[in-house]
Amino acid sequence: MTRRRLNIVLIYAGVVLTCAILLFPIYWLVVTALSKPIDLRVLPPNFWPEVPQWQVFGKVLGDRPLLLWLGNSTLAAAGAVTLSMSVSIFAGYSLSRFRVRGGQSLGLFILTAKMLPATLLVIPLFGIFRSVGLVGSLWSVILAQATLIVPFTTWMLKGYFDTIPRELEQAAMVDGCSPLGALFRVILPVATPGLAATCLYGFVLSWSEYAYARTFLTSAQGNWTANLGLTTMKGEYVSDWNEISAAAIMVAIPVLLIYLFLERYLVSGLTAGAEK
Amino acid sequence: MAGIRIENVRKSFGVLEVLKGFSLDVADGEFVVLVGPSGCGKSTMLKILAGLDDATSGQILIGDREVTDVAPGDRDVAMVFQNYALYPHLTVARNMGFGLKMRGMARAEIDRRVLEAAKILDVEHLLDRRPKQLSGGQRQRVALGRAIVREPQAFLMDEPLSNLDAKLRVHMRAEIGALHKRLGVTTIYVTHDQIEAMTMADRIVIMRDGAIQQIADPDTMFQHPANLFVAGFIGSPGMNFMRSTVTMGANGPQLRLFGQDVPVDRPIANLAGKPVIVGLRPEHFATGAGAVRFTVTPRLIESLGSEKYLYIDVPEENRGAVATRGGEDDHRGDSIIARIMDVGAIPQSAAITLSFDPARLYLFDAETHVTIAG
Ligand SMILES: Nc1ncnc2c1ncn2[C@@H]1O[C@H](COP(=O)(O)OP(=O)(O)O)[C@@H](O)[C@H]1O
Ligand SMILES: [Mg+2]
Repeated sequence: MTRRRLNIVLIYAGVVLTCAILLFPIYWLVVTALSKPIDLRVLPPNFWPEVPQWQVFGKVLGDRPLLLWLGNSTLAAAGAVTLSMSVSIFAGYSLSRFRVRGGQSLGLFILTAKMLPATLLVIPLFGIFRSVGLVGSLWSVILAQATLIVPFTTWMLKGYFDTIPRELEQAAMVDGCSPLGALFRVILPVATPGLAATCLYGFVLSWSEYAYARTFLTSAQGNWTANLGLTTMKGEYVSDWNEISAAAIMVAIPVLLIYLFLERYLVSGLTAGAEK
Repeated sequence: MAGIRIENVRKSFGVLEVLKGFSLDVADGEFVVLVGPSGCGKSTMLKILAGLDDATSGQILIGDREVTDVAPGDRDVAMVFQNYALYPHLTVARNMGFGLKMRGMARAEIDRRVLEAAKILDVEHLLDRRPKQLSGGQRQRVALGRAIVREPQAFLMDEPLSNLDAKLRVHMRAEIGALHKRLGVTTIYVTHDQIEAMTMADRIVIMRDGAIQQIADPDTMFQHPANLFVAGFIGSPGMNFMRSTVTMGANGPQLRLFGQDVPVDRPIANLAGKPVIVGLRPEHFATGAGAVRFTVTPRLIESLGSEKYLYIDVPEENRGAVATRGGEDDHRGDSIIARIMDVGAIPQSAAITLSFDPARLYLFDAETHVTIAG
């Protein structure tokens, strides 16, 4: 009895501690955004500004093309995810279903792409994009990010397809579907939670990507993504940390919103196969 | 409807030969059961029939049409899977109508056929539900319904009852039988359960390690097993096996069993001095008087009410014949079972006299395990 109670206390303590560690930076971001710049230099720090400076958000939106950056980020992420998914659906499905000679090694080879740091690939990619005139275009970021995202989404989808019994597409084929028809009419609809989770994951990868955007887009201000734009707000001599924080919050919000909307799908997508 | 002809189908996965020349003629409207221990190649054969897997060599004919290279959807067969494989994202009605829709049938005709099949299977009230909201038995019915709305040339069923509990299984067994009588569609049914095979089949095909052991109707299969494997697989509890040697007595050939020389009226004089495996079904023992009598003290007596199972130690000289039943090795080398019907109490650990008729004995070649004719 007491032992059980102790366990519960320990579990709660663990949960609270984890949440505190995870949430503190976000909390501090909010505090920083809402404080006057001058108050940020006091010691000991204030844990909540006396007068929250809500107008900082309006000021940032007025001073910087944040909405344009967010729009660019959205376009880049949507493009990179669409491209990645159209590749990964077939790649993941093949890896899950077809046993071909070398298939397993091919699958693992895809993973090596994700072991290489982006900074290593950035130079050859830059060369390629320059020769085809894509530097400065959002397409460069879309294509480059797809190379980052595809390995992840392929393996996530393979894992999800593995949980779907083969008999489903066999039934569909006996019922008159072609193999592709079975994929589109039966497997993909059944895999919707997995597809949603995978899309979201790809979206977040793209949204938080910086190295490619920085390399390919720096010279094209109109195409800056939110992440890239954000870093340009840090001045060489002075930085308005409250404004940077406010912008950062606004950059984070879309991802949070998507999480909230898709949470139901995400949970069932990530725990697929646990039940059956 | 149509008959099915399977000609010398072989299938290998790499070096593993899973089907070693499978040939079978199924008559129009026949109910054929493929039975055998798990891993013997039953599902593989069914998938090849459905077109879901390619044979390494051999031919498949449905009706008079060669379908060896025809896509599954164009073979006009319907399949029922062990895990039902209902489409989780579609309602029951759409599950059942899916195959018709894929064939471009008009909506109204699909609805009519689905309703008709739903009535036959008593799932009319479930048509708007999703598979997730159904019980195991209901899913089974919907899976059958999805097959029958197609009005195909043949039904292929792969262990369709093994996910049901015992009671429901017996019920659905009868129901599938009734459905077959009513529709008369050629059916190939796969199971590892010999009782399902015995109760449902017009003909049984018994398989082991990718090779057909015997093709026969249930009674023939039971009474005249082609070899030791079939003899041990069909029947429950399985046939008892003992090792013995043929000798020549004054009145002809005899076998040494339970410490006696048992004369056997078979033309096996040519086997004199050779070892054989002797089979005797548990139900062919009796208490008291009989042609051959022996006294034993059973190791254990199990009472099932109407019948009793007596576990009897095999004499040393008769040991060493191991039967393989139902896939699992049934190491009954040193004990046999006598199944005694309608007897009163038998005291445990007391001597009892049992008897059997040597005409009931089965003889198998000790090396090849093939039934010795006679
Ligand atoms: N896709 C496959 N690749 C390799 N081996 C397989 C494959 N499918 C089945 N097998 C093997 O073929 C044998 C027969 O399998 P199966 O037809 O499913 O047996 P059953 O249905 O009689 O239990 C088994 O040994 C199985 O491991
Ligand atoms: Mg099987």
